[in-house]
Amino acid sequence: MVKVEGLYYSYTNDDKYAVKDISFEIAEGESFGLLGPSGAGKSTTQNILTGLLPLKTGEVQVAGYDMHHPKREMFNKLGVSFEQSNVYGKLTALENLEFYRKLFDVPTLDPMELLTLVGLEQVASKKAATFSKGMKHRLTFVRSMLNQPILWFLDEPTTGLDPAIASVIKDIVKEKKERGTTIFLTTHNMFLADELCDRVGFIVDGELRLIDSPRNLKLKYGEKLVEVEYVEEAAQGDEANQAVAAEQPIVSDSADGSGTGTVGRATIGGGTGTGAHLIRRHFSLVDPVEVAALQEVLATRKIETMHTKEATLEEIFIKVTGRKLV
Amino acid sequence: MFRKILRITGRDVRSGLRDNIIVYVILAPFLSALILRGLIPSVGANVLQMAVDPSVEPAVVEYLETIGKVEVLEADGEALERRVRATDDVFGLRQAGEGGFEIVKEGNEQEGMDEIFELVLDAYVNQDLELPMDALVSDIGWKLPPLKQFGASVLVVFMSVFGGMVILINLVEEKQDNTLSAMNVAPVSRKAFVIGKGLLGVVIPVIHAFGVLLILGFEGLNYGMVTVAIFSIALISVLIGFVIGVMNDNVISAASSMKVLFVPILASIMGAIFLADKWNPLLYWSPFYWAFDSMNRIVLLEATWGVVLRNTGIVLAITAVVFALLSRRIARGLN
Ligand SMILES: Nc1ncnc2c1ncn2[C@@H]1O[C@H](COP(=O)(O)OP(=O)(O)O)[C@@H](O)[C@H]1O
Ligand SMILES: [Mg+2]
Repeated sequence: MVKVEGLYYSYTNDDKYAVKDISFEIAEGESFGLLGPSGAGKSTTQNILTGLLPLKTGEVQVAGYDMHHPKREMFNKLGVSFEQSNVYGKLTALENLEFYRKLFDVPTLDPMELLTLVGLEQVASKKAATFSKGMKHRLTFVRSMLNQPILWFLDEPTTGLDPAIASVIKDIVKEKKERGTTIFLTTHNMFLADELCDRVGFIVDGELRLIDSPRNLKLKYGEKLVEVEYVEEAAQGDEANQAVAAEQPIVSDSADGSGTGTVGRATIGGGTGTGAHLIRRHFSLVDPVEVAALQEVLATRKIETMHTKEATLEEIFIKVTGRKLV
Repeated sequence: MFRKILRITGRDVRSGLRDNIIVYVILAPFLSALILRGLIPSVGANVLQMAVDPSVEPAVVEYLETIGKVEVLEADGEALERRVRATDDVFGLRQAGEGGFEIVKEGNEQEGMDEIFELVLDAYVNQDLELPMDALVSDIGWKLPPLKQFGASVLVVFMSVFGGMVILINLVEEKQDNTLSAMNVAPVSRKAFVIGKGLLGVVIPVIHAFGVLLILGFEGLNYGMVTVAIFSIALISVLIGFVIGVMNDNVISAASSMKVLFVPILASIMGAIFLADKWNPLLYWSPFYWAFDSMNRIVLLEATWGVVLRNTGIVLAITAVVFALLSRRIARGLN
């Protein structure tokens, strides 16, 4: 359905490439995600695939069309949802969809039903200019479904949405995927990639570092982790640790970039240097050094909580690319 | 393709009617024409309109055409009476015996006009006698008061820019909201999009021209010529509207860039009105000069298709050059 080979793109027409030597394929009915931090080149890649940016170097085939010679008719088969919503502010939600639907040469879905799908039926006849960001995003999203695309491009489909709406969108994508729609999505949200994608590609600084299914990645790179929270007396930490402790807020969230061996601290009982610190730390069970460290902690510290954890895609991402996903 | 073009134009109409600036731009020419009409005392009062029976000799018709609006009927007999009875102020004329004329009137014509008509005919019949008629004749003819003649032409040519303004505003909005990207991933060809967007830019000026001329009382013009002249001159503004539109995502700054167009327009028109004929070649580069020339002839009823088409050809040629210079910028801006 999609074939990309040796894709390079430079906005400035020099050797400052926003994407470098990218190659991948998406089979029919597959859902493929580009996962990477902001500025990695995800949108640039999608925009070349949808013809919004001209293909300069490399070979790209999309739904049977050579993107060196894109044809507008191909968009009868494609759906494109944008990272930044883009709807006509002076038209109502319904008018936006009615206008866009009539540009297709293929059967289209009923606009009102689509609005209902994302909870916009109440505001169908309100001008889009009066909408919140989330509402505009939903309108942009359902607009991309009008022509029942066989290949669906979703650029950050849930970014910036409140969790309830994000979950609605996720469910819609899931359902379409189950019905055989081929999906290309970009995201920096590992949960989304994990849940929706048959395969993900890790992209950093315009380079595709690795492609595999989330499950394989976890098997290959994921390690059994143990998360331990323990109390450490002030005297046991050195000066530098105390400085860190003072800055770091209460127990950091494990999703927030804590890989193996990461330490989170919180001061217990107020002022630095006087009370005890609550430490949260991850230990890998496959790294002998960390196993030893874990044993040491278990032997010498007062343990508050202890869990085993599976590696998340994000942790694997950090491990593979050395970069965080934010 | 045609269907999609109309969808795109239709969207612009719908959206435009909800935009105060666009509504103002659309209404402004009509308002200006109404004001101008107030400034011209009894517009149309001194136009002598005549319907002429086929029995009248061509030489007489030719003479009458220098004085007023002449309509030569195809059928004779009752046709003349029927024409005079129609709602407008028309006098009928038929040959009555050797060298004599019969004037047919309805009775509700404008006061004094029948006497003028008689005087005009007298002047013709007795043209060998040196009667002091010429002065009177030249005053009542279709030679218009300058305010009306130039007012109409200036207004109509000037307003041709407003179509471009509407395009500009709609395009800037597409840039601003980035709906352009959504259009770029729809099965609509670039050509259909550009035509759909550009259509209003020529339709609006033609509607403006018709409205302005009718408000000013020019019912009897050749509106086919008006359409051709205005359509061609509006294309320039469409082009400029596109170029500025695709380069801006702020309506105010875009509109003020567009205002720069008023300079060559005003220069061309003022030049055409006030410069001595021998200086006119200085204005030949300006499409607005040629459009103004066409309009001026049309309102004076002096225009022939030959001249109008020649001027239109020149306007289109200049437009083509401008297009060649700007098309790449437009294409780039639409991406
Ligand atoms: N229109 C543009 N002009 C110049 N550089 C751009 C443009 N858009 C994106 N970039 C640059 O290209 C790189 C990739 O951006 P993008 O594809 O938007 O990343 P992502 O979608 O992964 O956040 C970034 O360094 C960004 O600054
Ligand atoms: Mg992006």
